Amino acid sequence: MTALLPAGLIEVAVTAPSVEYGPMLPFFVLAGGAILTLFVSLIGGDVAQRLLTPLTAVATLLAANAIFAIRLKEPDPSVLTGSLALDDLALIFDIIFASAALAVAVIAWRSKSLREVGRGEFYSLLITAVLGMTLLSSATDLVALFLSFELLSIPLYVLCASDLRRNGSLESGLKYLIIGSLASAVMLYGLAMIYGATGDTNFYEIADMLAKTPAASDPLLLVGVGLLLVGLAFKASVAPFHQWTPDVYEGAPTPVTAFMSVTTKAAVLALLVRLSAGPLAPVRDNWAIVLAVLASITIVVGNVGALRQESLKRMLAYSGVAQAGYLLVGVVVGTGLGVAALVFYMCVYVLMNLGPFAVIVARERAGAGDGLRGMRGLGREAPLLAWPMTICMIALAGLPVTGGFIGKVLLVQAAVFGDWAWLGVMIVIGSAISLGYYLRVVAAIWMPEHETASDPSAPVLAGADPAADPGAHPELIAVAVAAAALTVALGVYPEWLLDLARYAGETFIALGV
Amino acid sequence: MNIEWYIALSAVIFSIGAAGLLSRRSPLVMLLCLELMLNAANLALVAFSRAHGDAAGQIFALIVMAVAACEVVVGLGLIVAIYRNRLAIDIDAFTELRDGRD
Repeated sequence: MTALLPAGLIEVAVTAPSVEYGPMLPFFVLAGGAILTLFVSLIGGDVAQRLLTPLTAVATLLAANAIFAIRLKEPDPSVLTGSLALDDLALIFDIIFASAALAVAVIAWRSKSLREVGRGEFYSLLITAVLGMTLLSSATDLVALFLSFELLSIPLYVLCASDLRRNGSLESGLKYLIIGSLASAVMLYGLAMIYGATGDTNFYEIADMLAKTPAASDPLLLVGVGLLLVGLAFKASVAPFHQWTPDVYEGAPTPVTAFMSVTTKAAVLALLVRLSAGPLAPVRDNWAIVLAVLASITIVVGNVGALRQESLKRMLAYSGVAQAGYLLVGVVVGTGLGVAALVFYMCVYVLMNLGPFAVIVARERAGAGDGLRGMRGLGREAPLLAWPMTICMIALAGLPVTGGFIGKVLLVQAAVFGDWAWLGVMIVIGSAISLGYYLRVVAAIWMPEHETASDPSAPVLAGADPAADPGAHPELIAVAVAAAALTVALGVYPEWLLDLARYAGETFIALGV
Repeated sequence: MNIEWYIALSAVIFSIGAAGLLSRRSPLVMLLCLELMLNAANLALVAFSRAHGDAAGQIFALIVMAVAACEVVVGLGLIVAIYRNRLAIDIDAFTELRDGRD
């Protein structure tokens, strides 16, 4: 040891970081709101339980969202001695997380799992997961990265299992816990290798260190980067690390599936964008081609896997795998345009994914289950659910007049301009395959039904809740209609979101310098 | 003593954990294997921290221990909930969610 460590190096000074309370306000709001929601849920009485607890959670998320929106275009690139960066890139993703959580808080309001696990606990865990995601999108330090990664994961494991008496929910929770923890462990080992190769945990210091040395030849660093990317690929359900996705998404309570299917992907992609601008930039040649291959495999596997699914939650899980592939193209391209396209598509994806999940929740509560068969005759029964579902399916497939089309055009454009034209071709091929399953849903909704009445295997009773409500809840219709309306609005007037996306792209370019 | 020995040991422990996670069927043993993987990373972090003379790695390892405890708490809680539902505590028995049931 003495040969390795000169005397004096063993005593290392630890300086406590100074905490800037102002810039960190949104994090304190979210953490305080999570604790407050738990306390409010202790107040007795049905009114307090049914109204006060959700309202506290919604108020917390609204407050955090307002702070994020005000901070936009006033970036603070170094918070907590360089551990966090609250720049436009992070803030746009933070708004996505908080808005998705708001929609999910509304969707979950009257769901069964809330009664099972307790309203305070459910909303508190939801807000904690949002806190983890907002921290992850701002992380500029390996320690902050790992900690926020776990802060977003652990509440989601519990939320997946929150239907405590349903075996599928428990199975989903346990599977997610084991796979998610495996991903964290692999990622952590990668972080340890990167730390060993560079001797620092700060993203900028690592980038400086790698820019000075011939990094590509250091096996320690390359192993570390590889393990880090594998861990992140697990979390973002990138093929071939996606096998857990359909099982977990199907078993989890539907509002939880709606939340994690969009936001965990967004969080991991935000982190990937930041990593690719900073510490991973010097070794870009080593990993860009790997990610490109993974993205194209993901697009094919996700779209082909979705074709045969009868459960809509499973279908949307596979569709989510495919969407992760599309989004990954933005990271691979690594230009300002690529990041802008990624941010735009992410915003649209949140909308066009939340709409269908709101409809699925409504169908489940009506006792029709989450199957494709539960959609039959929806066009005649409940047009206010059928139209949003149709619009969102068309948007997910990427047809014009929707935001999904503009997003895909931007991604293809970024791929072609960034000399990754074959990835653009993959996106187009994937979209063509995806029409096969998205249009099946549209057909089920609008085609006249003949055999439904005489079909004894129709799962009308299979997933039925004895206390099922016959009519759809108005808040579900509101979320579905709002999501579909915004999807169309973004297809017709994409300019205002494009401006924001361009800011994110510019931030990305500035990070690289 | 060179740092290579510490890294080699940590790689061996990590591999034992990963192999155990893939081959064992009891969720309890799988949680133990996860702990092995996390602690292998801790060993690497502390070894690198000494080699670089930088405290960040040791602090990182402490934080990892706290996070590992949180994961195990959630995992054990889930296993208790599954036991209460009278399900077999065997990972191969969890086949309610999979492709191609319909």
